[in-house]
Amino acid sequence: MKKTIHIPIGSQHISLLEPVRFSFECENETIIKVEADVGYVHRGVELACTTKFKFKQVGYVVARVCGLCAIVHSTCYTLGIEELMGIEVPKRASYLRLIANELDRIHSHLLCLSHTAENAGYEALFMRIMKDRELVMEVQEAMTGNRIQFDYVSIGGVNKDMNSELEGVIRNKLGLLHQKVAEIKELFDNNWSLSLKYKNVGVITKEMAYRSSLLGPIARASGVNFDVRNDSDYLPYSELGFKSITMEGGDIHSRNMVRLFELFESIRLIETALDGMPEGEIAAKVRGTPEGESYMRVEAPRGECFYYLKASKGQYLDRVRIKTPTFGSVPGMIEALKGSNYADVPAIIASFDPCLSCTAR
Amino acid sequence: MIQEFLKKFRKKSPWLLHYNAGSCNGCDIEILACLAPKYDLERLGVRNTGNPKQSDIFLVTGPVTMRSRERLVELYTQMPEPKVVVACGSCTCTGGVFRGMYNAEDGIDRYIPVDVYIGGCAPHPEQIIDGIVKALEILETKTKEIEQPKKLMGKITENDGQTDKTKMAGSL
Repeated sequence: MKKTIHIPIGSQHISLLEPVRFSFECENETIIKVEADVGYVHRGVELACTTKFKFKQVGYVVARVCGLCAIVHSTCYTLGIEELMGIEVPKRASYLRLIANELDRIHSHLLCLSHTAENAGYEALFMRIMKDRELVMEVQEAMTGNRIQFDYVSIGGVNKDMNSELEGVIRNKLGLLHQKVAEIKELFDNNWSLSLKYKNVGVITKEMAYRSSLLGPIARASGVNFDVRNDSDYLPYSELGFKSITMEGGDIHSRNMVRLFELFESIRLIETALDGMPEGEIAAKVRGTPEGESYMRVEAPRGECFYYLKASKGQYLDRVRIKTPTFGSVPGMIEALKGSNYADVPAIIASFDPCLSCTAR
Repeated sequence: MIQEFLKKFRKKSPWLLHYNAGSCNGCDIEILACLAPKYDLERLGVRNTGNPKQSDIFLVTGPVTMRSRERLVELYTQMPEPKVVVACGSCTCTGGVFRGMYNAEDGIDRYIPVDVYIGGCAPHPEQIIDGIVKALEILETKTKEIEQPKKLMGKITENDGQTDKTKMAGSL
């Protein structure tokens, strides 16, 4: 008779940033069964968006769904409402939104990389990436006024304009960041002890990615070329010549590499956007109330963020439905954990970059 | 006598326990940024530990959600005295934007006594450092006297290891 060991992780654990509970069934060192519980931080944002807050306020409330990708949520909501109200957004505002979105992606990816490095036992690299991450945090603070939870996007445009002085700061800091990321990429690619923890660990094949409907960097690391920035032109990505990054391996290493290459792509996008920044207004006038239904999707740092909005000419919306990227990646995470070594669990979980505040809202 | 002697060391290496009781992650990543080289909280001797039994400072973020209440109270009771509680962020202090939502409470001070409140959504790392320094001052004045959570079914004593902790947070 085989004997299995039951090991719970969570809801509070040093390797987890957020409350999530996994319970593992282990046979010797190998995991054979996983159960995940993600609902510890459910607050009830969706209901409050339709009962407590008016539609002009909801954009700032949904930003509080998640601190890491706050701007993605408010952009997605705002684009949906603008579609319902028929507002033409000035081109300059679109470009500024794009810059803020890409800055957010850079800081989120850097956080994920540092967290993966820490969970692989390389604390010096964690500290180093966190130090480099401060460059982009400074840029965000200069551009929007706050380090995180910058309520930058409003209905009709953005809340703060950019001047040439700020543009110089952004170019300077991002140039510096480009060098630093190149150095980090070198480490992730060639460091022998990191490769022991990363290469051929937590593998997700292309079929598995399709079957568990994975999205974002995780799917792209398994060879599924899916990126909302390619498919829909919600912000002027095609004008700036966006190219999505795909890799074949499907292990932790390729996920890290996809994130690192996306950092270069985001830096390039921001610099191109600054080069061709149109002049003009930063916000359009908002009149009337929304009516109808809209579906909107936006590429978040972790995958596809989806909003369904329904309104019927009132100050309060009828329905706000949020589908967040991590919710879709939990089944894939369970698949990847099955059959892997117990010692690799923190690194695998961190490589999926789970955001439970998004998932549970 | 020996208590006075130990006090000195306690102040020099306060360990930190961080728990997310339903926040949006914003404060959590600011705490991580605090521990990183630029703001460097570790110069004060602070180290992030996952173990409540080794910690002196309890850093909580988020309004208390229904499912995290019991965990919050249990983590608090597992920490040895003297201990300080720091509420980090607007929603932790008062409920903030989540105040009145059906699954969130109005701040952690309904459940456990709070020593330092840090406002802001999200607080700047410099604010968090200020809060920790303030907490260290309070930690010095505290004694080994047992502190209890505000909502608790039974009383715990020093020798009581058999308390049913699943009911600690009280009824709704």
